[in-house]
Amino acid sequence: MPQLSELTAALAAGKRAETVRLTQELLAAGVRPQTIIEEGLVPGMAVIGEQFKRNEIFVPEMLVAARAMKEALKLLEPLLAQAGIKPKYTAIIGTVRGDLHDIGKNLVSTMWRGANFAVIDLGTNVAPERYVQAAREHGAQIVGLSALLTTTMPAMKETVALLKEANLPGVKVLVGGAPITQLFADEIGADGYAADAGTAVDLAKRLVGDAA
Amino acid sequence: MTSREKVWRALRHEAGPVPVDFGSTGVTGLHISCVAALREHYGLDRHPVRVCEPFQMLGEIEDDLADALGSDCTGVNGRTTMFGFANEGWREWRTPWGQEVMVPDGFRVRVDAGGEHYLFPQGDTTVPPSGHMPASGYFFDAIVRQEPIDEDRLDPADNCVEFQRLAPEDIAHWQREFARVKGSTRSVTGGIGGTGLGDIALVPGPFLKHPKGIRDVNEWYISLVERRDYVHRIFAHQCEIALENLAEYARIAGDAMDILFVCGTDFGTQHSQFCSVATFDELYAPYYRRINDWVHRHTGWKTFKHSCGAVRPLMERFIDCGFDILNPVQCSATGMEAAGLKTDFGDRIVYWGGGVDTQHVLPFGTPAEVTAQVTERLAAFSPSGGYIFNTIHNIQARTPTENIVAMVDAVHAFNRRGG
Repeated sequence: MPQLSELTAALAAGKRAETVRLTQELLAAGVRPQTIIEEGLVPGMAVIGEQFKRNEIFVPEMLVAARAMKEALKLLEPLLAQAGIKPKYTAIIGTVRGDLHDIGKNLVSTMWRGANFAVIDLGTNVAPERYVQAAREHGAQIVGLSALLTTTMPAMKETVALLKEANLPGVKVLVGGAPITQLFADEIGADGYAADAGTAVDLAKRLVGDAA
Repeated sequence: MTSREKVWRALRHEAGPVPVDFGSTGVTGLHISCVAALREHYGLDRHPVRVCEPFQMLGEIEDDLADALGSDCTGVNGRTTMFGFANEGWREWRTPWGQEVMVPDGFRVRVDAGGEHYLFPQGDTTVPPSGHMPASGYFFDAIVRQEPIDEDRLDPADNCVEFQRLAPEDIAHWQREFARVKGSTRSVTGGIGGTGLGDIALVPGPFLKHPKGIRDVNEWYISLVERRDYVHRIFAHQCEIALENLAEYARIAGDAMDILFVCGTDFGTQHSQFCSVATFDELYAPYYRRINDWVHRHTGWKTFKHSCGAVRPLMERFIDCGFDILNPVQCSATGMEAAGLKTDFGDRIVYWGGGVDTQHVLPFGTPAEVTAQVTERLAAFSPSGGYIFNTIHNIQARTPTENIVAMVDAVHAFNRRGG
């Protein structure tokens, strides 16, 4: 039986086929899906997030690793669902109205899925009321808003205002994207700003009170 | 001193008045809504403005507006647009934000029930659209039309269909364009396409009816890691074609052109780079060097590299592979502070941009804040030449006209004071 650390290493190196093979072998050997995620995949994505923050790897390598992670999760998530095991937290994510860019949003989505969050991805060009509706419907703790464009920063402001106005209990709003800064996040009343996908994981975990 | 002479002094790193560019390229222009507002502000003839670049919905800077703005630079336009239709047969069109503009005849849009706008490649509405402007948007994004990827059958030739020898109609077009600008008192920037390596705006092939190969943006980035040989073969092919086309282009342009726009590939994000220095050296530098060396050996042009973001770690590489000009000099990105860039590289590369932040200060600041930032950047970048004033990338929609005017006034006030 392979070691979970081998899976971690394969994922951190972005080796898709090996990540999938090791996941299959671990499952075949009777390792529980949640153990594979928590002790194999999550540490791998943490390595990726840290390397990205330190400028040791770049967006292409992040995308390669995220793709490997997604394929492994494709094997594991149905098994978790069958066993009635749900992720501990729920997050809504989307790119704000008028904005069609999704590379950053998709990276954060994958990283959150690997950090014990069920992620409801609303896609791009998302109207403010859809975030509110989804957060309410799914009982989310986190709502993530992404914007790449200067021209869609006002839509982000509008969305945060609507989410605050909806007064959803326990919901924290995170923002990110190229033109977004901590200052802008503070101005529009967001609960947090993440400059990259690794930071978005740390921040979401902190905001839901998960110190692990 | 003519505008062109002013620009050349700056390009030669000689002290003098700071030249100004508004609209000579597709990355130094203004959104069409801003162009119309400025025409109104300066009391110029009122008519629908032409969309000179439909992807970003840039507006044409006509001579009267260029004069009002004091612009020292102009450009020659390609025969076709990013969506593959010709820049001709102008007709009126109403934008989603309610502005009457002029678009080329091939600009064919379908609007769905929700007000989403879809634009078609080469104006052909029988094929899937290649551009999408949200109902509340101000420009188009490319629609990814990626066929399923079969790793064993991937053929770099599929990503090379857009890199062809100049057609007779291209040659005729360039002859007309260079006749138009010959003798211009402004400096002239041109480009032929095909010299940009992996520009992510072009990878999806918005100008193609049925793009093949790697056309998905994520897959392209993944290819830089996992399919590097495939990417090398594309770059090598386009480089060969580009050098042949450049020879033809140089023959047509004669001495009417000053600057060659080589590449718009972004190597920087807000806080980092899109690749390591080692990847740049291995994958990009050899081709850039060939193109820049050819230009310097055969023409008097200076070469222009556009890259957004935090590219400080790549600055030595840009210089080393022969780029003369960097744009847009995104000072808000990590490590891109104006003073440091000027001190460390300013005698070896010309900065074209950096004048004011279009993400924050210009669209959202006050006119006084705009004036302060513009003046500070001019003071940092302009000593000993090597600087052409421009905003950091195109001026975006919704930017207040009073802020743009404050910026223009601040540059001219700086020049009147003698720097």
